[in-house]
Amino acid sequence: MLSGLPAVLINAALISALYALIAIGFTMIFGVGGVLNLAHGALLMAGAYVYLLLARDTISVPVFESMTLHPLLAFPLAVVIVAVLSYLLYAVIVQFVEDNPVVTFLATIVVALAATEVVLHYAGSATHTYTLIPDGMLPSTIDIGPVDGILTVDVVGFVVSWISIGLLWVYVTKTDSGRAIRATSMTERGAQLTGVNVHAVRARTWLVAGALAGIGGVFLGASTSATPNMWLHPLSLAFIIVVIGGIGSIKGSIVAAYLIGFLQTGVGEYLGQNFRGILSLVLLVIVLFVLPQGLFGREFDHE
Amino acid sequence: MSTLAGCVPGGGGGGGDAEGPITIGHLAPLQNPLGVGSKRTANMAVDQISENGGIMDEEVDVIHADTEGNPGTAESEAERLVIEEEVDVMVGTFVSEVTQAIMDFVAQEGVPLIVTGSAAPSTVTEFIGDDYDQYKNFFRTGPINSNFQAEAMVNYVNHLNELHGWDSFALLADDAAWCQPFVDTLPGALDEEGYDLALNQSLNINIDDFSPVINDVVESDADAVIRFFAHINASPFLVERAQRELTFGIEGIHVTGMHPAYAQLTEGAATYETTSQSGGGGTTDITEETLPFVEAYRERFADSDPPVGHPMYMGFNTYDAINVYKEAVERGGTWDYANDLDGIVEAMLETDHTGVAGQIQLYGQDAEYPHDAMETRDDEGTISNFPITQWQPQGALECVYPEQHATAEHMEPTW
Repeated sequence: MLSGLPAVLINAALISALYALIAIGFTMIFGVGGVLNLAHGALLMAGAYVYLLLARDTISVPVFESMTLHPLLAFPLAVVIVAVLSYLLYAVIVQFVEDNPVVTFLATIVVALAATEVVLHYAGSATHTYTLIPDGMLPSTIDIGPVDGILTVDVVGFVVSWISIGLLWVYVTKTDSGRAIRATSMTERGAQLTGVNVHAVRARTWLVAGALAGIGGVFLGASTSATPNMWLHPLSLAFIIVVIGGIGSIKGSIVAAYLIGFLQTGVGEYLGQNFRGILSLVLLVIVLFVLPQGLFGREFDHE
Repeated sequence: MSTLAGCVPGGGGGGGDAEGPITIGHLAPLQNPLGVGSKRTANMAVDQISENGGIMDEEVDVIHADTEGNPGTAESEAERLVIEEEVDVMVGTFVSEVTQAIMDFVAQEGVPLIVTGSAAPSTVTEFIGDDYDQYKNFFRTGPINSNFQAEAMVNYVNHLNELHGWDSFALLADDAAWCQPFVDTLPGALDEEGYDLALNQSLNINIDDFSPVINDVVESDADAVIRFFAHINASPFLVERAQRELTFGIEGIHVTGMHPAYAQLTEGAATYETTSQSGGGGTTDITEETLPFVEAYRERFADSDPPVGHPMYMGFNTYDAINVYKEAVERGGTWDYANDLDGIVEAMLETDHTGVAGQIQLYGQDAEYPHDAMETRDDEGTISNFPITQWQPQGALECVYPEQHATAEHMEPTW
């Protein structure tokens, strides 16, 4: 039976991996363009609903009839589509207003609210759930050590999370195109002086962040359910994680995601579910007072 | 009475001149499938009444207002309905906190309010039960309040015990007003019947991670979970339970699970979950009116957006409430609440209406729950207007309790 510390630790690790996927894209976009993308949650939601559209026939939209693709096909397709949506969000709206933080703030929240309305219109407010692991491919639960009955989809989410983080790490440290992203997030002027095309970097960042949000969204929908308001909580979570980890720091986001994941799960288990969210907020306030730049953040200097 | 009349601005609605049309204001969360169903059945009731000559030969209209499940929005919408739209009666409201938020305004205006969605007993006891004259324009024609629901739940648990030998239960509830009776009375009642209460938790209505709760249930070794979720969407709970192939029963109330396509929407994860719901999900003839009503709904909205098969519980109650109001107005000969609220109240209290959700009668002034829907009881005194449905394999929805309405036997989960 699932009980005691091992179960708590494993659950915490699994949920933290999802939190990391949710937060990294958010922090990258802030790091590179200084843009607080409040539509980040909407991109997560897009991941879940695009997957539903591709893999299940419970919703349909005009032009694009819903289909029932195999999950192994539907998943990467959904991720690509969300990445493109994210890119379009930048190319069509954000790039024209990004110099004005207030307008960007408003524009992205409007996009998020509009996305909610679109989902409500086509999919209704009913809850949609889906299984990501095809029948017969893997058992639906697995045992890890003394803990049994762990959902396979959560474990796959954990693995995919770390593969994504690994690939992202290789990309931003080993390739010129990725290093340009990192350089721009360190100092935009410095990057420009070394010949980096900052506009192209930003567009690329939105694409990569969108892909990560797509992955996170598909797994989020699979482990909870797809509803028109599913973006709200993850967005606030991303905020907390990014502030604690240090705004703009990928490493910080990962560490903070695990910190929050373990904290929430532990508090939920030992103090009661109603306290789950509160301690994260307390931690947020402490970090803001004691370590305003976050665990791995630097003082920001966007000129 | 005269003090109330003085408060009504400009003799709103049918108030001053008592001329038609008679306008019904319908309040519900219209973006929720529950509210959509309620809106449609309100339209059905009004159309049918109009086809049959209206109410006292007057035309009947309905105006829908979206509460968004939010007390603040509900207050401004209620004001709009009464003051701008001059409605003669209001029906609806789902969330108990929403109902209670508009209570004082509605009492001050005197416009009759017939509640069809929210179940908290405190909506009666803390208002009309406390100050009858102030709140006497309030009525609830269904669902039965959650004190009765708690009593009915104990009868149902006895039934499950006879059927499967279940004797230990885990209690989970929304941390919200309507659940208070379940949290307060069920533990003692179950104990009295000799059952073991293995777990008792009120859950934050914003819960998003059910794994710890499921682990607690597994650890408690309960035979079944009795959960009361109107705010909480327990779909992830069901998915996890199905994937882990856990065999505890899932009983009680789950409003999200009343969606007619719920088994399909959850890819079958809902299988074996039960919920009590007014109208019994249109599966069974609670009264002779139920199935013809469901058939008419199905026909009329076959090509509409979901929910298509049948409305959710509030839709049954809203349809009944409008018909109850019609009969009361005709019986009392008035819909003029500004000048003759007492006439309307008196006529409402004489209600004995065969509705689609059950036989509807209301408690009188001196009852414990004035103007509240009466529970109906069978020969043995068991509450019978509390039908329970179960999602059975292949997405079949069946009524499993009470026995006189059951279409199938309750199934124990096996995977």
